[in-house]
Amino acid sequence: MRLQNRQKYIHSLLRESAIGYGFMAPTLLVLAVFVVLPILYAVFLAFQKVQLLGGIEYEFVGLRNFARLMADDRVWIALRNTAEYVAIVVPSQTVLALILATTLNAGVRGQTGWRILYFLPTITSSAVLTLIFMWIYNTNGLLNQFLAFIRLPTYNWIGDPAVALKGIMIMNIWSTAPFFMVIYLAALQEIPQSIYEAAKIDGANAWQQFWYVTLPLLKPVTFFVVAMGIIGTFQLFDQSYIFSNGSGGPNNATLTIVLLIYQYVFRDLQMGYAAAIAFLLAAIIITITLLQQWLFGKQTMN
Amino acid sequence: MDVIKTRLIGDAAPDVFFLDALEAPFLMENNVLEPLNSYITPDFDLADIEETLLRPFTLQNQIFGIPKDYSTLALFYNKQAFVDAGLDHPPVTWDELLVDAKQLTLDRNQNGRIDRYGLGMIPELARQAYLIRSFGGQVVDKQGYATFASDAGLVGLESLVTQYRDDRTSARPIDVGANSGIEMFGQGKAAMAIEGNWAIPFFQDTFPNLEYGTAEVPRMNNQPGTMVYTVAYVMNRQSQHKSEAWELMAYLTGKTGMEQWTRSGLALPTRKSVAETLQYDHDPLRSALVAGVSYAMPWQVGNYPAAVMNQFNNQFISVMLGEQSLQPAMLRAQEQANQQIKAAE
Repeated sequence: MRLQNRQKYIHSLLRESAIGYGFMAPTLLVLAVFVVLPILYAVFLAFQKVQLLGGIEYEFVGLRNFARLMADDRVWIALRNTAEYVAIVVPSQTVLALILATTLNAGVRGQTGWRILYFLPTITSSAVLTLIFMWIYNTNGLLNQFLAFIRLPTYNWIGDPAVALKGIMIMNIWSTAPFFMVIYLAALQEIPQSIYEAAKIDGANAWQQFWYVTLPLLKPVTFFVVAMGIIGTFQLFDQSYIFSNGSGGPNNATLTIVLLIYQYVFRDLQMGYAAAIAFLLAAIIITITLLQQWLFGKQTMN
Repeated sequence: MDVIKTRLIGDAAPDVFFLDALEAPFLMENNVLEPLNSYITPDFDLADIEETLLRPFTLQNQIFGIPKDYSTLALFYNKQAFVDAGLDHPPVTWDELLVDAKQLTLDRNQNGRIDRYGLGMIPELARQAYLIRSFGGQVVDKQGYATFASDAGLVGLESLVTQYRDDRTSARPIDVGANSGIEMFGQGKAAMAIEGNWAIPFFQDTFPNLEYGTAEVPRMNNQPGTMVYTVAYVMNRQSQHKSEAWELMAYLTGKTGMEQWTRSGLALPTRKSVAETLQYDHDPLRSALVAGVSYAMPWQVGNYPAAVMNQFNNQFISVMLGEQSLQPAMLRAQEQANQQIKAAE
């Protein structure tokens, strides 16, 4: 009797999960075809030398692609550029997003108007933004006119390797901060008013309220914003592609990892090597995200 | 080009497309183009086409492309600027150019920002490769490996760098906020520029009042030199419609077709007979360009042009900006390019 019941139970469990998988099948199929398969194929490619033109041929080369990666100066230049870019852009855009969100949340007059104005850069296509900024950055452009007007030094923003990447940074901070601002804004409105009231009764001033109430409560959102920011900035491609016409110049100043991958695939037709670089990038992003999760997690426990 | 390569790999390339001489060696080597020898009839009159322009599309006696048009580089000079500076003829040698450039460089309001430079220049291998040859250097060897950093190759480039860095009588378009060399020249920010046939229709449209003349590129080391850029029609080896494809190519590059396409002056004809009919060798602006064909260096740098070009351009800009001196920078560029080529082969 008991055995029968048990069998019945297992049977119904199996049926239940079968139905579950049945419902998920379309999504699983899409994921398998468009996410899992390409990843597996990329793993395969990273160990091959691929002849593409005039009949596709694969040749197993073991770790040679990775060995070449270690010796390739351009990979390290691209990595350094990308790291510098991430190190400056992510903190700035996070802080800026937080500032924008708090000021909006504090109830400035015409809040909706400001919100729209702030959000406009984010919904504009990044290709268009880059083209507009290239005009602003022109040696005779708006930015230099302004700098000259307030008696600051002017730069050749597009042509000078020392500042070209900075130009892209400014542009990107300006255009992505509002997106994260909206996320912060939603989170700020989630914080119950009663906590602020309690803080006020305890005699906390506005600054203390922000520092000891708002910031800690925003921590999960900050984690999300920083993680997304890092992933997004590590994948910088379109701005530097348009900026340098695909070359990563001047003098490799705007060469980023993804641009380098693009060059190896579409210019040099070296799929295998490009896949190896892509793995390097994936490994870096995963490591940093895990590290960051561990850091944030540790603080929350305290 | 990125698109054509991708489509060739995906068997989705068009039957006929046009191909830059620069990209030709790689595609010829990889057997994706149809050899045209068997299609060419005596009627087509292959001998009428300039030999210099056909050679970039030939590999082991097989012809893979029929050049449709070309442009060389010539010296464009602003007539008014020359009159103002008291110069009555364009420079014939590079030394004269350097002297003239000093006289042509102007800072009208003495604010330290130069309003007009003597020479507008583009620090790219595609534009300067002929200078490497003028003292006997080579950009690449027969196997396509970079060799531009030889002592002989650097002499010509050095004079370009010195002029930019020490004389300050030349500038890049980007230094003056222009998008191209022709725009810089058209706006009067450079009194001379070394440009091609594309400049003539551009000036007609954009700067109709500009008074300029052309002359052959000044001789360096008493050697005439210039670049020639050419584009050919080629046939996809996978094409399902080869005879129709050839019919189209034969018309476009034949005598009637070519006359039709080059009459407007947007491009120079590769057929001697068409050039004669259209009288471009007597055209006051185009004769200098036409004259260059006989001694020009075709813009082609082996099977891996991207590696050679990118490394050169990257390091050369850094030399121009004074970050490093020419020889070590070029040696590094050459070594890196060759490393990249070796890895690709």
